[in-house]
Amino acid sequence: MLKGKMVNLTKILPIPLILIVLAFAPYFLRRYHLVILQDVLVWVTLSISWHFFSGHTKYISLGSVAFVGTGLYFTSVYLNLSMYKGYYPILPLPVVVLLAGLVNFALALVIGSVTLRLKGIYFAIATFGVGELVKGVIQFWQTKAGVYIIHLPKEFWDPQIVYFSLLITTLAVLLFTTFLRRSKFGLALRMIGECEEAAAHVGVNTSLFKTLGFAISAMCMGLIGGSYAIRFPSTRVDSAFIVNYSFLPPIMTMLGGVVTAYGPIIGATTLTLINEYLRVTFASYFPIIYGSILIIIVLFMPNGIMGVIEKVKSTKLFGRIKSAKGLKTPS
Amino acid sequence: MWDIILRGTINGAMFSLIAVGLNLQYGVTRILNIAHGEFLMLGAFITSVVFQFYGVNPLVSLAISGPMVFVIGVLIYGIVFRRLVRLSRSVEELEFKSLLACFGLLFIIQNVILIIIKFYPKLMYVGVRYLNETIIIMGERLELNRIVAAVMAVIISVLLYILLRSTRAGLAVRATAQEPTGAQIVGINIFKVHTVSFGLSVLLSALAGSLLSMIYPNLSPLTGPQYTFIALAVIVIGGMGSFIGSLLGGFLMGYVYYVSMKTDPLLAMPVVYAFLLIMLIIRPKGLFGR
Repeated sequence: MLKGKMVNLTKILPIPLILIVLAFAPYFLRRYHLVILQDVLVWVTLSISWHFFSGHTKYISLGSVAFVGTGLYFTSVYLNLSMYKGYYPILPLPVVVLLAGLVNFALALVIGSVTLRLKGIYFAIATFGVGELVKGVIQFWQTKAGVYIIHLPKEFWDPQIVYFSLLITTLAVLLFTTFLRRSKFGLALRMIGECEEAAAHVGVNTSLFKTLGFAISAMCMGLIGGSYAIRFPSTRVDSAFIVNYSFLPPIMTMLGGVVTAYGPIIGATTLTLINEYLRVTFASYFPIIYGSILIIIVLFMPNGIMGVIEKVKSTKLFGRIKSAKGLKTPS
Repeated sequence: MWDIILRGTINGAMFSLIAVGLNLQYGVTRILNIAHGEFLMLGAFITSVVFQFYGVNPLVSLAISGPMVFVIGVLIYGIVFRRLVRLSRSVEELEFKSLLACFGLLFIIQNVILIIIKFYPKLMYVGVRYLNETIIIMGERLELNRIVAAVMAVIISVLLYILLRSTRAGLAVRATAQEPTGAQIVGINIFKVHTVSFGLSVLLSALAGSLLSMIYPNLSPLTGPQYTFIALAVIVIGGMGSFIGSLLGGFLMGYVYYVSMKTDPLLAMPVVYAFLLIMLIIRPKGLFGR
């Protein structure tokens, strides 16, 4: 009992420290580092949102770009139209971002109800197709309408505003998904991941929970996409819908470790920093090194960074090697 | 009307050649290689290099690009995927992990080509100008190179079909695709079969690339993923693991692609994806799936 409490304390203690550092980061970091920190926040949130659905239910979604892109593009278009053209009422930024999240929620309900009846690799291909389809449709529509670049109002060209909006969204998404994961909803998702038939047998409405989980994950992606929109002074369809949004969250989650909740956070942070370092140091050679790193991760770290940490911990503390048993129940 | 039939068939022949390779790979090794299009670019790139520097006829360069990429594919399988197969506990895990590894592979191959191109601006496009005089069939002007490429693509696909259907090696490949454990019991070395199938499928992709570089002199080395996704759509439509399905699905996709391209070039890829999705919803196993 006592031991359990102490472990909890050491686990919780760093969190306020990290929060304080994050809250004051813009005041002591240089602009370049602040921009990197923004990227880290974005990818952390995307990985958390991706992991919330795909990590638990094991329905591997490769269509995140549809939701991130929609959130990002919706926010830019709304801000542009409301402040320059006066088509829509001018709303404060958080409301616009929330709207972007809701648009994504609705979009994902439609997409999810259609694609979630597929399994395994078919689901992955279908979601990928959806991502590209959404991009293609919006691009077609915008080109026909003669819109190529969307400029953002000048009020938002401030790294601090961008940073804090991203930070708040990240924390909100983190709290929200953690809360849901620990509720019955998360339990249902995990059961679907373990064995969908068994879950259905004990009375879980699997299709409802899958669709809702997919929609919530998409909503979180839309929220972070919406907050990310003000980072770019101008947006085009092909800069809002980058295929990396689909592929990097799974890779980051995998690097961190699919099993634990910390996995996506650690994986996203590590990979974003590696990416930035390589891009600055090696310029045009960086994708080659980056690709090699991805392959090395897949080959030599099957359980991600968290798996490695677990392994080291178990050998040092207890003197015995607990082989990490692959994809255990995510907690 | 005739242009849809003729040009759609030409597109279709290329698509089915690319898809047949991807299907062989997925059916046998369970690796969904999203870097498939990059091997295609590699084939096109080799063709372009030997044409620009040594003046080798693109049709002859099929005999150069194919074996070269085959060796590269076998090496990649031995280094990367062999270990991955051993590490994975289930098919789903292998599928997911190989997807990520292939994503890394995509980055590497694409950028190796881009870096070489940077040093030799002459190679800016991975296409070559060859046989571009036009002939008129049914009132439709067609470049000769397209017809030659389409015919070659069909010949290669048919050769592969014969190889799989009527040789002992083909039997081993089909057995491994159907039941890996059973194949091992009857004495098939499935590691060998996997390696050769992987090599063979990237070889097919490279041949398709060589033919494509003949058709499109302005082929950009960045278009690899696009062909991967078309091929992916084709094998889903035809049915995963079905050879005839990919072949016919390729032609079907060829017509759809050409019609949408003719309506509006921006519509081409969205229509491909929409077609894929509709097919997945109506019949996830594909037209000829088991």
